Amino acid sequence: MLIDAVSRRAFLAASCGAFASVWLPADPDELRASLAYAARACQAAHPPAWDFFTPAQAADVDAIAAQILPTDDLPGAREAGAVYFMDHSLATWAQQQREAFSGGLAELNRQATHRWPGAGRFAALSSERQTELLHVIEQTPFFQMMRLHTVTATFANPSWGGNRDKVGWRILDFEDRFVWQPPFGDYDADAAK
Amino acid sequence: MRQPSVRFRPSDVVDFVVVGSGAAGGIVAKELATAGLTVVVLEQGPRLEPRQFEHDEFKYFFRSGIVNDPELQPQTFAPTPNEEAKKDAGVLLYARLVGGGSVHFTANYWRFHEIDFVEASRHGPISGTGFADWPITYAELEPYYTKAEWELGVSGTPGPFDAPRSRPYPLPPLPVKSSGVLFERACKQLGLHPQPTPLAILSQPFRGRNACQHCGFCFGFGCEFGAKSSTLYTVIPVAEATGRCEIRPNSYARKIAMEERTGRAIGVVYFDDHKVEQLQRARAVVVCANGAETARLLLMSQSRRFPDGLANSSGLVGKYLMFNGYCTAGGTFERRLNDWKSVADSRMVHDFYDTDPARGFYGGGGIDARFAAYPIGFALGGLVGGLAPDAPTWGPEYKRLLRESYSRTMYVAGHTTSLPLQSNAVSLDPLLKDAWGLPALRFTYQYHPDDVATMRFMQVKALEILEAAGARRSWADPVQAPNFSVHLLGTCRMGNDPRMSVVDRYHRTHDVSNLFLCDGSSFVTAGRGQPTCTIQALAYRVGEHIVEFARRGEI
Repeated sequence: MLIDAVSRRAFLAASCGAFASVWLPADPDELRASLAYAARACQAAHPPAWDFFTPAQAADVDAIAAQILPTDDLPGAREAGAVYFMDHSLATWAQQQREAFSGGLAELNRQATHRWPGAGRFAALSSERQTELLHVIEQTPFFQMMRLHTVTATFANPSWGGNRDKVGWRILDFEDRFVWQPPFGDYDADAAK
Repeated sequence: MRQPSVRFRPSDVVDFVVVGSGAAGGIVAKELATAGLTVVVLEQGPRLEPRQFEHDEFKYFFRSGIVNDPELQPQTFAPTPNEEAKKDAGVLLYARLVGGGSVHFTANYWRFHEIDFVEASRHGPISGTGFADWPITYAELEPYYTKAEWELGVSGTPGPFDAPRSRPYPLPPLPVKSSGVLFERACKQLGLHPQPTPLAILSQPFRGRNACQHCGFCFGFGCEFGAKSSTLYTVIPVAEATGRCEIRPNSYARKIAMEERTGRAIGVVYFDDHKVEQLQRARAVVVCANGAETARLLLMSQSRRFPDGLANSSGLVGKYLMFNGYCTAGGTFERRLNDWKSVADSRMVHDFYDTDPARGFYGGGGIDARFAAYPIGFALGGLVGGLAPDAPTWGPEYKRLLRESYSRTMYVAGHTTSLPLQSNAVSLDPLLKDAWGLPALRFTYQYHPDDVATMRFMQVKALEILEAAGARRSWADPVQAPNFSVHLLGTCRMGNDPRMSVVDRYHRTHDVSNLFLCDGSSFVTAGRGQPTCTIQALAYRVGEHIVEFARRGEI
């Protein structure tokens, strides 16, 4: 069962599909700060220092995100900067989810150590071992939360700090424009001929 | 920034307070103000200008951008009144801003058919339900459907199953999408009768407003071009231009103020944007706050004289909540549809609209071809669409499928009937409060077996259509649990018998002569999935009648 408020809200998102408020409302100042942060993060040649994660936690989160939406011939969650979205959200408007993140990562690493003693933290495992471990936990609230955050970070507007250079939308072949003209797709184009 | 054309003081006794500025409230305000009456519209949400609407899925769908926020206005849900209603277990969702649901709706604009008003005498009774005829007919409402289409701006072409209409649509249909081409071809092959979907979206410039630019952000979003025929861009500016109507945003109604001695409404108590209580005085009150909040406001307005809530001598305030069934089948195709562009849907069929006794259950509906999934929602999967239910949810194959499918998927959706059950209801939670200290909204809902049978039937038809359309792969999506809706209908039903209904055929409450209710709450039956057109026709009709009553001194 899902236990805390965050999970309940995530459950609502999963059951309603959309139109659910998973994140707490930010006040306008926080929102403005968030947008300014995102603008800086996009422009920075080097990633900004972590606002919430320890470097080790950030590496684990980045590795999990890269398993959920891996890099192939197209960029994935890693290139989208999903970990930065999550770090910033936990430092600002999603503070109530810190415990779920930190606790979940600690438990994941406990399991990693138990399985492969001496192999190091999750981020240091081989990709095969990472996949194997994530399959073990894929039904847990922690993994569902990581999936929700990774997907959101990758496909949300870049103004929220992820989806850098709109790489998430490139995966989907989606383009955000204000104006399109018909034909829109191949079938209506053919029909118009 | 916009300045209101006129400002009233709460102590001014205006002719009408209208609670809610949405699909119905905007129209009622305009009808009253243009007839020479003074009006204050209390809107709980803010006023946004078209340029303030954004293409921001995360904000609008996950952070309550322009909708009611469960953190500030929590709700509780249980399937039946006998079970403990739990917080965050479900949500009745509505747009919370000037223009209300007419700002963020998908803009499907179907008239009811003649049968919708007389179904119970045709197909009823159905035991255990409140299935009943409306006290009005399609013929009585027809002039107001026409008025809505021509004043607001609707694009379409009459279809073979449409009820008689006095005028065609004011605007031609929007361009067909790939989903519409595939759907139309398949339906014809199956002997069905596809037609362009009528939409309250402008296919051409109309009355000084822009035509649709096909950006693809209709469902859940405000239109930055003003091409969606929301009351925000249509009737509300007309109401304000009279100099007799003030739209007052950030004003959250908490109680209808009554004079105990006479049993008449004297105004509405609301929280202003500083959470300070104000009483706006008025000669009469019209509540258009949507099918959830209208009932809640009456229940919160209980007093010594009205211990069970205002206008509730029937005991039916909040009862008979109806959602409309919604079910989908998805299909992927060889080539690109790019259906994320432009309006959500462009073709539909009404071949299965009526109940067919041969099917063995009550119900029917319309079917359309649509795609209204934005990137995050599609990748997460759920109500708005996503990958097939058996697709992986993470990893390389998940990513490959997302990449292949987003531009090659369409959904065939059934929009169906819901039977009125007394146990499906809006009420006040006995414990939980909202951020203003008011009782939280509690609701109970479960499907009638015939509602589910209708959805299953529609899904079979949807799969046949997808197959005939040449889908490479198709699937039926799971029927959603009934703990979420944006269609909020039936909670203050209309009727001639004061024991069996809350408002009369003119939307006047049976119990309080200067209190009217008009929105989805007035519905007696649910129709087939697209209620806004009928809500707005009812609003034009009630506006005309209230003006007449006022002129004759009958309020």
